[in-house]
Amino acid sequence: MNGVLPNGFESWLSAAPERPAGVGPDWLDDQRRVAQEQVRAQSVPTSKTEDWRYTSLKGLLEQGFAQVDESITALQPDDLEEILIPGLDSHRVVLVNGRYAPELSVLGDLPKGVRLGGLRALLDADPDALRERLNRIAGDRQPLFLALNTAGLDDGFVALFDRAVMLERPIELIHLSVGMDEPRVAQPRHLIVLGDGAQATLIERYVSLGESLYCTNSVLEISLGRDAVLQHDRIQMESANAFHLTGLYLSQDANSRYRGVNIGLGARWARTELVTRFRGEQAECDLQGLYLAGDRQLMDYHLDVAHSVPRCTSRENFKGILYGKGRAVFDGLVSVARDAQKSDAAMSNRNLMLSESAEVDTKPQLEINADDVKCSHGTTVGRIEPEMLFYLRSRGISAPLARRMLCLGFAGEIIQTLSAEALREHVSEQVGQRLESAPLN
Amino acid sequence: MTSAQAVDDIVGSEYEHGFTTDIASETFPPGLDEGVVRAISARKGEPEFMTEWRLKAYRHWLTMREPAWAAVYYPKIDFQSISYFSAPKRPEDMPKSLDEIDPILLDTYNKLGIPLEEQKALAGIAVDAVFDSVSVATTFRKSLAEAGVIFCSISEAVHDYPELIQQHLGSVVPHTDNYYAGLNAAVYSDGTFVYVPKGVRCPMELSTYFRINARNTGQFERTLIVAEAGSYVSYLEGCTAPQRDENQLHAAVVELIAMEDAEIKYSTVQNWYPGDAQGKGGIYNFVTKRGDCRGARSKISWTQVETGSAITWKYPSCLLRGDGSVGEFYSVAVTKGRQQADTGTKMIHIGKNTSSTIVSKGISAGEGTQTYRGLVRIGPRAEGARNHTQCDSLLIGDRCSANTFPYIEVKHPSANMEHEATTSKISDDQLFYCRSRGLTEEDAVSMIVNGFCKEVFNELPMEFAVEAQKLLSISLEGAVG
Repeated sequence: MNGVLPNGFESWLSAAPERPAGVGPDWLDDQRRVAQEQVRAQSVPTSKTEDWRYTSLKGLLEQGFAQVDESITALQPDDLEEILIPGLDSHRVVLVNGRYAPELSVLGDLPKGVRLGGLRALLDADPDALRERLNRIAGDRQPLFLALNTAGLDDGFVALFDRAVMLERPIELIHLSVGMDEPRVAQPRHLIVLGDGAQATLIERYVSLGESLYCTNSVLEISLGRDAVLQHDRIQMESANAFHLTGLYLSQDANSRYRGVNIGLGARWARTELVTRFRGEQAECDLQGLYLAGDRQLMDYHLDVAHSVPRCTSRENFKGILYGKGRAVFDGLVSVARDAQKSDAAMSNRNLMLSESAEVDTKPQLEINADDVKCSHGTTVGRIEPEMLFYLRSRGISAPLARRMLCLGFAGEIIQTLSAEALREHVSEQVGQRLESAPLN
Repeated sequence: MTSAQAVDDIVGSEYEHGFTTDIASETFPPGLDEGVVRAISARKGEPEFMTEWRLKAYRHWLTMREPAWAAVYYPKIDFQSISYFSAPKRPEDMPKSLDEIDPILLDTYNKLGIPLEEQKALAGIAVDAVFDSVSVATTFRKSLAEAGVIFCSISEAVHDYPELIQQHLGSVVPHTDNYYAGLNAAVYSDGTFVYVPKGVRCPMELSTYFRINARNTGQFERTLIVAEAGSYVSYLEGCTAPQRDENQLHAAVVELIAMEDAEIKYSTVQNWYPGDAQGKGGIYNFVTKRGDCRGARSKISWTQVETGSAITWKYPSCLLRGDGSVGEFYSVAVTKGRQQADTGTKMIHIGKNTSSTIVSKGISAGEGTQTYRGLVRIGPRAEGARNHTQCDSLLIGDRCSANTFPYIEVKHPSANMEHEATTSKISDDQLFYCRSRGLTEEDAVSMIVNGFCKEVFNELPMEFAVEAQKLLSISLEGAVG
């Protein structure tokens, strides 16, 4: 290999350079190599880097995370009890520290034309099924954390849907993190491909056992064929000490519909990148988001929705509640290419600040190169209206409860867009709990 | 041949024939070094402190890099190929009559309804001293002096009021601020100085237009306005009439200082040469404008109508330092042909109960590109700060583009911050409605566009607003269809 990495991420690749040869076909090795070169060619982003203007990597680099090549086998299905959501009936896929754990997963009955499972297993069994799909949606020029993920590409989750297949029950993808002696990074890579007219629901959850320190750098590639429909609920509830990075790369063919609901509650430092590319006309992409940034927590969202073909619709609706020394960053970009007429985009970011020392940095951007479009964005930052609080208090409701009720009302708009009742209850409860213990200064 | 060249040729042709001999000595050869900076200062007979100030800026400028983040594209500027000093034109070098002026320019003057004598003045024709506005200007100066308002060129002020200049010049936009501000501090040619004493309400709208001696202040203009406690001043910059200039690069600096309860209203109409149909030869307008609301309850209001220049790069800003101070920004920017505008504002809320309003209207036609870039920062001590931002873009034609890049940083929970942006085109329904009532398409568009910009025009002084409306219609002529 070409010497050391100039940018402090050597350890993220430490296990990668030798090992990949054993896993998967040659074409994948080539892609890993290209990605490694891309990592080497980049320097660590600083506040001078536009995409990292408000987000410092200092804390993450100080931890000295390393990729560790060992799987945890000690877990039993019983250990999952505390993290499962009661009443949620799903095809369950469990990853432990980024590795697919078949002994914990319950795939259940699957209709013909659906393949679910671990990436590594499929690479061994049928690499050709992945050849034209893996690492294709994310693009050639990969930013640092995507390139790191590709360079260390090794395991993850795969869902392949043939034409017109419909899955009634949701797929539940659980990222379970278990603390280890040394701080480690897991870089799972997921691929979800829906053929023309296929329909599915994916519930993606990030959870941990204990409050350990670790880092997740997950990447999802999602491709929707013509008329395909995907509902995607993402609930990030990492350990309070964790660092969380996730990149979602979405490609939509004509008339396809995607709805993603991004709930961010956990991790002390979390960055989410959502990248949408429309490939066919009349596709719809709906991105909803709710984040709670509590004391010393950072929630960072980056959206990049490119209307490159005419007549597509996108909605971006993100809401945040901040308390303690919480910080939130929202950086949303909607771009409309020349000739992408009749594009319709509406972006909104609303923030509720509950404490003196919270901070919000928001940057909703529009880049419009066509004239017959409907594009708008709106942002607000404010606190709970004293009148509303007074109204509730005058009816005998205590101040903390009134505040909580108003916050839940604010959050409710997003929570409602989750697909299952059990999930909505689970998230409402979690939000309520966090608000209850929230320091208001 | 471009029309700018046409003007240049007319101007240039005269010294081909050797009418004058000493022109070379009036204009510095291209290039910039310490010697040139010293020479500029010496030429203007500046006191020692000014020379040192320029040199300090120049030395710092050498360490700076040209910014590249704006969404504007132009060939690299060679700063060594620019001449940094040229004495004002002498009457015998100017065109002798309107016949020598580009007919397109005259046509525009007529459409704007500019009187003949003024047309001559605008076109740079040597005019007799009996010309109306000279006497007007004299009257103006008299009543200003009575009120105690200082209104003169920066060069005069450096001599006559050195203590005010030393105290305030560069205190809002220091030479370290940005590349072009640094360059300006080193080589600024001239500009305007306004000082309004305590409690004085300036009796009239001030405008460079009436400051005859300030003609040809050149490409590196510098403006400083100081409003002492409780005073009020309204200042108009620029002119609706198209301005031609042989200097392609304009890097001006404007500093406003408002003390307790003072109010400054600064209005700009900019209509510099935008270049030919291919965008060649147009003016690069890289301006740093900033207002400092130093005192409590002070107010600074920027209003701008930007229709000219090939490239506009400007962000009039407000530092809201005083408690309860107010910042406002109203802007209409029009880009057509190959024009590019990257403009917006910064509202920095530092004091308590500060409030700011931003209304930005962008109109892109043809292959014009337009970027709103703004920052609203609410600092950790800015309790009760409020901001309302609205930026709307109107697109005419499918080759133009409009970008919106707002930055919002909030560090106090009591802040109330709203930002809205929309991008749309003139709807067919609106057009159809107007046309069914017998308006031509062009009139209909001009009517709709004027409605779109009304919020901003309302902020302009009366006679300016009327001219701005006409200007907008002319700017958009031929853009539709």
